Amino acid sequence: MANATVVDGVSRLLRFKLQSWNAFAPGLDSQSAWREWLLHPSDLPSELGKTSLKQIPPMLRRRFTPLGRCAAGAALPILEGVDAIPGVFASRHGDTPLTLSLLEGIASGEPMSPTGFSLAVHNALSGLLSIARKDVSEVTAIAATENLIPNALIEAATQLQESSSVLCVIYDVPLPELYQPYSDSVDFPCAVAMILTRDEGDDFVVQREESLNDTAQSDGFSGLLRVLCGLESSVSFGSASSYWRVSRG
Amino acid sequence: MSNLQLEIKQMIIETLDLEDIEPNDIVDDEPLFVEGLGLDSIDALEIGLALQKRYGIKLKADSEDTREHFASINALAVLIESQRAI
Repeated sequence: MANATVVDGVSRLLRFKLQSWNAFAPGLDSQSAWREWLLHPSDLPSELGKTSLKQIPPMLRRRFTPLGRCAAGAALPILEGVDAIPGVFASRHGDTPLTLSLLEGIASGEPMSPTGFSLAVHNALSGLLSIARKDVSEVTAIAATENLIPNALIEAATQLQESSSVLCVIYDVPLPELYQPYSDSVDFPCAVAMILTRDEGDDFVVQREESLNDTAQSDGFSGLLRVLCGLESSVSFGSASSYWRVSRG
Repeated sequence: MSNLQLEIKQMIIETLDLEDIEPNDIVDDEPLFVEGLGLDSIDALEIGLALQKRYGIKLKADSEDTREHFASINALAVLIESQRAI
């Protein structure tokens, strides 16, 4: 193996088991739909469209913005029958359509909506899901400009030291047009939810690498989904500062 | 249901994104918060802001009077009428 798994006494390799996963994007809401789309990719709408979220009571459902509906659409199906589970919620940009609308309101001198303000924080979605599911387990909300997916998995896998299973949800929506010249983002709303465990499910490994693998994916979501769907055995992620590989173990 | 009561209900439905609720679903003298319609504290802030925008009514968030004004549609109607009388 090109990369030593232990460097200066520090392991560069983290193992976990994947009990279940689900992903959500416009028109793609099952593992078979994702597999089909990955084999025959087509353009997806940049808007989420209608989602039912029937698991959430209506009075709470109205608080879910498109970003939240996308993430919840991925997470809720694998949480059926799960009473309490800690969660890692990872989004690179968070709810930028919402924060932009709040900023535009400030600019035009309008008083700010308390609801909009309360939902604009990065951990708002995990809070809503916590209320909806009556699950008071700890939640962690993370953001990363680079390597969001391996960082989210590392956080979740690390929490397996404390809990026997951990939910990991990774989600983003396209940036509003105003921001697009300044940063890249997903082309369509996308969320992946995974339940990581200590001892139930398929073996996975996250590891740090010395250099970027040839198969590195610029679009992290579809790379991860190719591995989840069994179309590839590993996916590499890289940035100027570090390289990571997520693979079936 | 008077015009003012209907107006308040429409304002609440619109402000709070109560998509599945019609004005007729809201009972004039039933509680708006927790029981009855089942609104929460964020909704209270949002209604406070709507009252300010639409009727120029400013309320103190922590006063006992505010709690009474927010008890029901009827109570909100009394509040708005009293402000109009000034």
